Amino acid sequence: MEETGKKWLAIVIIAFACIIYFFLCAVPLPKELVLEPRWSTSLPAPDAPSVAGADLGATTSLIPFTLGPSFGYFSPKGKVAFSAAMPFGLAISEAGYVAYDQIPTSLSLRSPLGIETAKTLEAGYPFYSGKRLFIMRPGQNSAAELGSDGRVLWQRDFPSIITAFSSSDDLALFGLMDGSLVGLGKDGSELLSFAPGGSRIAGIYGCAVSPDGQMVAAISGLDKQRLVVLERRTSAYRVTYHRWLDSDFRRPVAMGFTDDGRYLAYERPDGFGIYSCEGRSEARIASKALKRLGLSIPDRNMLIALEGGSEDKTLLCASPKGKRIFSASFSAADGFLAQQGDSLFLGMAQTGGASVIVRLDLKEE
Amino acid sequence: MKLRVGACRALVFAPYVFAASILSAMGWPLDAPVPAATFGTLDSGHFLTAIELASDGGLVHSADEGELVFVYDSKPASYALPSTIGSYVVVEHPRGMAGVYAELAKGSASGYLEKVKSGSLLGTAGASGIAKGSGLLFGLFDREAERWVNPFLLLPPLADTTPPVIRSALLSNGSSSYTLGEAKSLPQGVYLVCADLGDSLVSTWSVGNPAPYYVRLMIDGAKVAEFTSDVAGAKDGSLRLSSQSPKAASEYARPDGKVILASRLFARGRSIIEILVRDYAGNERRASWTITLE
Repeated sequence: MEETGKKWLAIVIIAFACIIYFFLCAVPLPKELVLEPRWSTSLPAPDAPSVAGADLGATTSLIPFTLGPSFGYFSPKGKVAFSAAMPFGLAISEAGYVAYDQIPTSLSLRSPLGIETAKTLEAGYPFYSGKRLFIMRPGQNSAAELGSDGRVLWQRDFPSIITAFSSSDDLALFGLMDGSLVGLGKDGSELLSFAPGGSRIAGIYGCAVSPDGQMVAAISGLDKQRLVVLERRTSAYRVTYHRWLDSDFRRPVAMGFTDDGRYLAYERPDGFGIYSCEGRSEARIASKALKRLGLSIPDRNMLIALEGGSEDKTLLCASPKGKRIFSASFSAADGFLAQQGDSLFLGMAQTGGASVIVRLDLKEE
Repeated sequence: MKLRVGACRALVFAPYVFAASILSAMGWPLDAPVPAATFGTLDSGHFLTAIELASDGGLVHSADEGELVFVYDSKPASYALPSTIGSYVVVEHPRGMAGVYAELAKGSASGYLEKVKSGSLLGTAGASGIAKGSGLLFGLFDREAERWVNPFLLLPPLADTTPPVIRSALLSNGSSSYTLGEAKSLPQGVYLVCADLGDSLVSTWSVGNPAPYYVRLMIDGAKVAEFTSDVAGAKDGSLRLSSQSPKAASEYARPDGKVILASRLFARGRSIIEILVRDYAGNERRASWTITLE
């Protein structure tokens, strides 16, 4: 009888301890970052162009896409505002697009809803960088910037062919085969002329300009290849960081600053490197072939990339310190990735099949 | 003094003449080269800093030994620039010459190579980029001098017996133009001497009006201007043709394509204007006109 009492006492004490522990010692689990699907929209067949602009009102927040055989714009709410079959060549941005033939006789600048806003007879292939429209002229050694009315704002001939390009609102940076970087201001005046040098063979394989135009970076040369970062000090750009790389790229290299200008992401043979502009330190993320690089979510201190080969793609989120936060794989012949705040827009196109755009919102649960 | 000027010009050409003599290893990048455009030809208001060789899918070989340093294969990732010269490879040849082999057939660029031997396969002739026809766009960039060199100066000569053409010449003073041969007398004054010139090519297609290699203008027996399409380089953001008196495209030709030879004051009396054009093989054509200024 006494033993039974002790047993019950022990049970009561343990139960009481558990209750105390539950209420006093419990620590809430850390919130997990999850991707919440918000909507999914199928793109019209490329041979059936669609315009739904009238239903959308203002077109300022439309997001451009190129996916498989189609291009166009969609709203963050999931409505395809405009879509059409991919032409021979396409320059596209939030500001509008220019579709062109292999030998363009004239170029029509169009709004995101496909309405012609201007026309130009300038010869060459147009390309957007941000909202700025440029044109690469015949010979690949001359370029110009076009205004929204299609007129040439400035034009520049370069000594050798242009192999890399990047721009901000105030700086257009050209990388040349001869190994030099030329930065031009809004009016085409020369703000930067620099040849990284040091390698056995000179050349610029990739370049990037920070959103505020205060930093520029380039991957230059062969044997050895080199990463160079320059920062604007008063009026001139000075080298603030450089490193010899293990890479031996003999093709254009992807690189870009994040939207907040805090990090530079650049392609490496085994993934991509991340240079911290504040800490002047580097990290590395192993990755397969890159398709889209340079997106970031500053509030969450995350970098986003789309990687993958011909039939499979992976959405990759990583910390600037080189840690993979999460990745999501999917099967698609072509992929597309855009971002607005905490929303990711992921496009998937199957070979000869349907194309879908999905909105995924980052949430903590 | 004339001798000194001549000596200076000889010095300008000397590196390329010397290079041509020692670069006998440099061969044509196509087996049966048919020029479709010459160095310096104006294309949409821009100088061609390469030569265009017509070929329907011919194999493109390296003109010399070297190292493949850049490949753009016309199916670039979304971050790459558009290429108006289509698919291309850059080969670092000896003596600082970078060879650009462009307008290759899509996907044919040999990106796997690094060391390249003379004659190594680099790709297939195609019509990628803003190509006017199927062929190869071949350029040579002199890294030390930072300028493009006319490949015809460094490649073995082609059999060519057809002289270039002088289609017409005219004097223009801004308000009026007088075609030489039609206008016998005209008012005295300052005139631009312009001519419609071109090289004769046998290709079935061409880029613009092929520029002749050498042009000389003589007035009353005195040499007034001469121009050689030997090199092209960018200065102050503007591409300039010729080592003798580098000219931008707007200074070289009028919008209608007629070459501007000189600006000259023609005083009252009789004048004899003579134009000589020469191609790469040395074929020449001359034309002269006698005019009376009143």
